[in-house]
Amino acid sequence: MKQLVLLMATFLIAGNSYGANLFAGQSKAEAMCSQCHGLKKPSVDSPFPRIFERDFTYLQTALQQYRDKTRKSDIMNAVTGSLSDDDIDNIAAYYDNIHPSK
Amino acid sequence: MKITTKILSTAVFTVLSLSVNASDDAHHSNQLYQENCASCHGADHGGYIAPALNADTLKGRSPTALRSIIMTGSFDTLMPPFYGKLSDDDIRGLVKHLQSTPKQPNPAWTLEDMKKSVQVYVQDESTLPSKPTYEIDSMDNIIGVAARGKYGRGAGSKAVFINSSTHKEIGEVPTGTAAHIIEFNPTNPRWAYVKTDTAEIFKIDLYSMKAVRSIKTGMNGPGIGISRDGKYIMAGSFVPHNAVILNADTLEPLKTFELEGVDPDGKMVSSDSGMIIGTPFADIFAIALENAGQVWVVDLTEGFPVTKITDVGRHLHDAFLTHGGQKLMIASYDDSIVAAIDLKERKIIKKLPAGCVPHVGGGSAVKVDGRTLGFGTNFGDCDKMVVSVWDLDKMELVKQIPVSGGTESPAAHANAPYVAVDIISKDKRARTIQLIDKKSLEVAKTLDVGGHAYFPEYSADGKFLYVSAGYNGDEVVVYDSNTFEKVASIGMESPAGIFSRGRVKYMTRGLAPDEMKGAK
Repeated sequence: MKQLVLLMATFLIAGNSYGANLFAGQSKAEAMCSQCHGLKKPSVDSPFPRIFERDFTYLQTALQQYRDKTRKSDIMNAVTGSLSDDDIDNIAAYYDNIHPSK
Repeated sequence: MKITTKILSTAVFTVLSLSVNASDDAHHSNQLYQENCASCHGADHGGYIAPALNADTLKGRSPTALRSIIMTGSFDTLMPPFYGKLSDDDIRGLVKHLQSTPKQPNPAWTLEDMKKSVQVYVQDESTLPSKPTYEIDSMDNIIGVAARGKYGRGAGSKAVFINSSTHKEIGEVPTGTAAHIIEFNPTNPRWAYVKTDTAEIFKIDLYSMKAVRSIKTGMNGPGIGISRDGKYIMAGSFVPHNAVILNADTLEPLKTFELEGVDPDGKMVSSDSGMIIGTPFADIFAIALENAGQVWVVDLTEGFPVTKITDVGRHLHDAFLTHGGQKLMIASYDDSIVAAIDLKERKIIKKLPAGCVPHVGGGSAVKVDGRTLGFGTNFGDCDKMVVSVWDLDKMELVKQIPVSGGTESPAAHANAPYVAVDIISKDKRARTIQLIDKKSLEVAKTLDVGGHAYFPEYSADGKFLYVSAGYNGDEVVVYDSNTFEKVASIGMESPAGIFSRGRVKYMTRGLAPDEMKGAK
């Protein structure tokens, strides 16, 4: 029961305080991230990091840093260059919400 | 004088070592090509499911643009990103190599080569379990999915098997390179056969969900069929231009066939192998010679004699059976017809109009109001985006149903109200499946599956529709066949073809099992 309450509380937080849109996040993720990182998870044959295991704040910070070039990666700096704050929040919320079964 | 000699020898040495380096580079690049690119683009640089990459096709292309496609992959296609997998130097080397390498001549792959390639994973098949090691009501409920893997090879490439009444995965068999076609043995439900994009065939024990044997039948080509008695397999290649009959039990190659003949325009050509099909009608295989425009009927008797049916069409590809398996409907890309062939008389019945670049996939046929209707999909790279419907008794066109784009594979089931077709046009439409009402012959619904949705297939009981969400979706999605509520999702990398074991019961998807009774 305690766990259930906790789970519901998590959903509420995810829904409200981020102000993010999961559907918009999915469509951005499809267009910009999924080719390498997968819509849920990256290919088992690929070298790309699994981002679905990261939480919202981590992803938000990382994407902002890549965009603002305070964190260096040629490919990530190029890919994230055009993202707005809202895009970043939506993408971070989308991957935060992904829990592949295996 | 001495100095001259020294200079000369240095020069010779330099030239030698330079040429060694150059051939080392070429060797290295070729190895990279074979290990990363060849399963889709062709070991001979001639293209397969992806474009040909050679000095001719890449002439004038910007090396920078090519390098960037290799690094990031190509969105909306199967091309994956090689950034991080190959070094920048390797990618540059590959581009140079591709732009200077001509298409290679057709390599030999003889009966002896095939024999040597047989691998045995389970020596004594009597050690295998005598019944399925998982819960299943009927083996017909098994659905096999060809999971390509993002890179077309590697750990993501496998055949995944699902129980279509519970929608749970019951097993998976790694295939090394992308699985392409899955065939089921019609007489013994424990055996399935998987053909990969590099023309290996795996014999799979469905009871224990493992591969027991494999053979490499060529370099590539999807053609594979199984005889009605389950004793023979026939496989055909694009590279090289041959086909082979195998013992279905041991995978031992029995006879090869060189595919060549005079095409409808009078030219003698060497030909890719198109579809190969066994039929419940007789102990024969039918094989399409794509470029020669011929269909060969091979009798499964001593010496495997061949009857050649010529002038069938220009660039034949895939086909489906009707009328107890006596009639074969075969698609011809370049003249946009589907030819009906009588496998008893071994001649062409009629050529029917078929939209634009017909690709019938596994085909579909349904009985509606006393008529047997066949459904044909089309790549449709012209303005004519239609699904053709033919009356298969009268062999005439009934209707061309407008759909929203090019289509690749229809699915139907005797108990399901709709014929499903996959829209493959490369934009938002690729996410969708359209559902054609069997009675009104109109598009009744459009399903937004996501990813690049293709290869719909009904479960053996017709209650569920399975669809691959393809390379941008990484899941197989299951719908209720009547309400189209989403009931399940099964995750896997880049799923493509879906094959129900129910197919062996109803021959062509959409027909009732009793359609086949007259045949035997």
